[in-house]
Amino acid sequence: MKHLNLKSMALGAVLSLGVVTPSLAQECIAPANPGGGWDFTCRSISKIMYDIGVVDNPVQVTNMAGGGGGLAYSLVVNERNDDPNLIVAASSATATRLAQNAYAGMTYDQVRFLGAIGVDAGIIAVAADSPYQTLNDLLDAVIADPSSITFAGGSAAGGFDHLKVLMALKRVGLEDIRTVKYIGVDGGGDAVTQAIGGFVQAVTGDISEVVGFIKSGDVRVLAVFTEERLPGEFNNIPTAREQGIDVIAGNWRGLYVPKDISDADYQRWSDALQAVADSDEWAASMEANGLTEFNFVGDEFQTYVADLMEEIATLSREIGVIQ
Amino acid sequence: MAGSKTSDRVFGALTIVVALAYIASATQIKTAFFSDPLGPRWFPYIIGAVAALAGFSLVIRPDEGEKWPGLFIFIKIAFACAILVVYALTLRRMGFLIPTAFAAGLLSYQIEPRKLQAFLTGIGLSGGLFVIFKYALGLGLFALPKGWIG
Amino acid sequence: METFALLGQGFSVALTPENLMLAVFGCILGTIIGALPGLGPSNGVAILIPLAFSLGLDATAALVLMTSVYYGAMYGGRISSILLNIPGDEPALMTTLDGYPMAKAGRAADALVLSGVASFVGALLATFGLILMAPLLSRIAYLFGPAEYFALYLLAFSTLGGLASKNQAKAIIAACIGLAIAMIGLDNSSGMERLTFGTLELIDGVDFLVAIVGLFAVTEVFVFIESSGKQTAIGVKIDKITIPVRDIIRTFGTMLRSTVVGFIAGVLPGAGASLGSFLAYSAEKAISKDKSRFGKGDVRGVAAPEAGNNAAAGGALVPMLTLGVPGSGTTAVLLALLMTLNITPGPLLFEERPEVVWGLIAALLISNVVLLILNVPMVKIFVKILMVPPWVLLPGVTMVSFVGIYSLSGSWFDLLLMIAFGVMGFFLRKLGVPTVPIILGILLGNYMEDALRRAMVISGGEWQYLFSSPIATGLWIAAFAGFVAPLFLRRYIKTPDKVPD
Repeated sequence: MKHLNLKSMALGAVLSLGVVTPSLAQECIAPANPGGGWDFTCRSISKIMYDIGVVDNPVQVTNMAGGGGGLAYSLVVNERNDDPNLIVAASSATATRLAQNAYAGMTYDQVRFLGAIGVDAGIIAVAADSPYQTLNDLLDAVIADPSSITFAGGSAAGGFDHLKVLMALKRVGLEDIRTVKYIGVDGGGDAVTQAIGGFVQAVTGDISEVVGFIKSGDVRVLAVFTEERLPGEFNNIPTAREQGIDVIAGNWRGLYVPKDISDADYQRWSDALQAVADSDEWAASMEANGLTEFNFVGDEFQTYVADLMEEIATLSREIGVIQ
Repeated sequence: MAGSKTSDRVFGALTIVVALAYIASATQIKTAFFSDPLGPRWFPYIIGAVAALAGFSLVIRPDEGEKWPGLFIFIKIAFACAILVVYALTLRRMGFLIPTAFAAGLLSYQIEPRKLQAFLTGIGLSGGLFVIFKYALGLGLFALPKGWIG
Repeated sequence: METFALLGQGFSVALTPENLMLAVFGCILGTIIGALPGLGPSNGVAILIPLAFSLGLDATAALVLMTSVYYGAMYGGRISSILLNIPGDEPALMTTLDGYPMAKAGRAADALVLSGVASFVGALLATFGLILMAPLLSRIAYLFGPAEYFALYLLAFSTLGGLASKNQAKAIIAACIGLAIAMIGLDNSSGMERLTFGTLELIDGVDFLVAIVGLFAVTEVFVFIESSGKQTAIGVKIDKITIPVRDIIRTFGTMLRSTVVGFIAGVLPGAGASLGSFLAYSAEKAISKDKSRFGKGDVRGVAAPEAGNNAAAGGALVPMLTLGVPGSGTTAVLLALLMTLNITPGPLLFEERPEVVWGLIAALLISNVVLLILNVPMVKIFVKILMVPPWVLLPGVTMVSFVGIYSLSGSWFDLLLMIAFGVMGFFLRKLGVPTVPIILGILLGNYMEDALRRAMVISGGEWQYLFSSPIATGLWIAAFAGFVAPLFLRRYIKTPDKVPD
């Protein structure tokens, strides 16, 4: 290991001095600034692809923040529509925005969705000292007096974190969902901080965002929005479904590729992605980041995305996010 | 143009106009449906109002202004500005080396009008910076127009 | 004494020859990235993440490289601030105010050494703060809700009035320009576009780096053309380079105070280092008896922001490590790096992964010492920049700025915007309007509005909520005092006329 370090450092120095041109032909675009879920997707998948040897050179990660992913989407559609060396990070948020027509009229079939290889389960949590013990306690309190509860989440109003809460509340019969108080903050960690500080009453987010706080005992997760309970240490968290609220919502981590690449290139990328999904490295990375298994690679993923978007569009129309 | 209180008064008046226009365009912002007592318009309104007040105070209590440069200087600055705009527009299509050499050379000539010196500056900066950015920092730059290299 | 045992363990992990080499390499690279306008610590770290991966570095080595680049950039930003009046990155903004006048007066070397020492003091003490109090400090974040944050940002703006301008109305207008620009783009709270006029490029708003480079670097070119080079520090004769011992001793109190202010600003998730340097400068000016030298080359005005921003950089690691909440753009990138290395920051990180935390802390200490050792002798090289003839230097700086901005966004729109800022900056400077508040407006505007909007959602529109906690009320009082007091004092204190150039 030590030798490897020295050698690779020397290599790095050479690279940096420009004696050798690094040929970073393949590129993964994270359509956001460094630090978020898309960035994580690109960086971990690229790293593992290189580590397990399905690509010859490290895949270069480019951050292209803009329009909540819209800028990168438009770049792929308009300028790199046949670039076989390009993958782009996607998630439920991509589908949400496409469904809400937030990408300036572009539609989901203008790219090819490649697959998703992990899902960050949606959760609703409260601070440890909160009086609410079950999801129903919390939702009933909202119905009794919507102004008494503020939810905090990492997405803007109308985003996926917000929609999850509204979906759950609709199931228990809340009529006017516009009275629900929700603040969009800068990510799940921030939302949890606000809840622990007592400024908001509940957090809506993904499990990965609260893992550390669950372990430290600062928050209590009331429900996880998966079909079955999570495996391993979070097995004691009840699902929403078993509490009688039938909502499934998770933030999957996946990729899309330009539409006009050849089927062979599409196959090459799906094989690479599948290899990542099957690797031990990815299993370790999923575990460390609170993701659970969600393996959907290739053409059937396209169908899945289409169905999901249908659902989001219907819901968004119901609550008035889109006309 | 001599230095006087006029320039501050003009600036103050201009601020008021721009602030009002800003408020006017803020009224066009789409509001949300959900519980949001303040909404996306009020903060821009407040900014516009504060700016207009400050502009007004500048109109009634201006400072002694600095001397404005003469017309010739303005033409020179406008020319430098034009070089930069052309540079910005050609950087993508023409690759890095050629536009940079031209822009750097022309700017250099503007600062000190000696032809050979400006020429060398342009070539040197273009090549040197390319090496630094491309290789030391690993930024994705194209040296030449994309068509020239297969 | 368990802490020291753990720290020792951290050092034993971090202090291998390879890691030391990485630290030196990272510090130099970071210094360059920081000094180049348009490239700041956050993109510097982001650019280098692929390098860390392609080198196959393990977690500790990657952290050593990244923190040394991070701190290197924090040190490096001041160099172009002082020498060229162009902040190398946003935390170095305040350093232009007094650093550049010092350079004009031939004291560039003194300013560089002094700011280097101040950076060291700020960063070092902040690291100790991190070691001793991180778990405790993370609790501070729980005390700050939307109302408290709003009051904090208000405090930051309220002290703007006296900033580098004789006329407060002009500072207010400048702040409003910045705030107005900040409103452009997606509205954080509703997720809808505002004031973009249908332009896709504006959906994400105006990047503050574009504004900084435009208002400072491009404007500088125009000013140079106008004055034929008479108003700059370029070519100013530099006295013999010595270590300004007296200035260092004289500003030691300043450094300590600024460290505390900056560290606290850094610990609060928000604008991180920029807010730290800004509050440190304002606070130092507020408590000093003789304010007239500020903005004209006061050594305290150089020491305060540099100690403040480096302390804030250390402070910002507290919420990142203990809460997983990045306190600044750069810590957001570091957080991404940690997560890619399968390290999830959170309240238990200190217990679960002590080797990572203490390795990181050891890396911070190492890079600081390396930077101090590199920076003081290197001042001799830095000041040579001023000896480069302007017909090379100015085109060079301009091209660097263009490429810096272009390589990050790949958009000519940003370049045109940058030129527009340059033209605006030229006129504003002629009118005596300070440009620093514009940048602060852009940096803080969205945070400030979001805090206000969230407070209103939570309270259901009750304004009293903004004053509902002792912290919020205290900040409001400080903000009020900071804004109103100078308004009254202005009548009694005659502002000395501008020092002739």
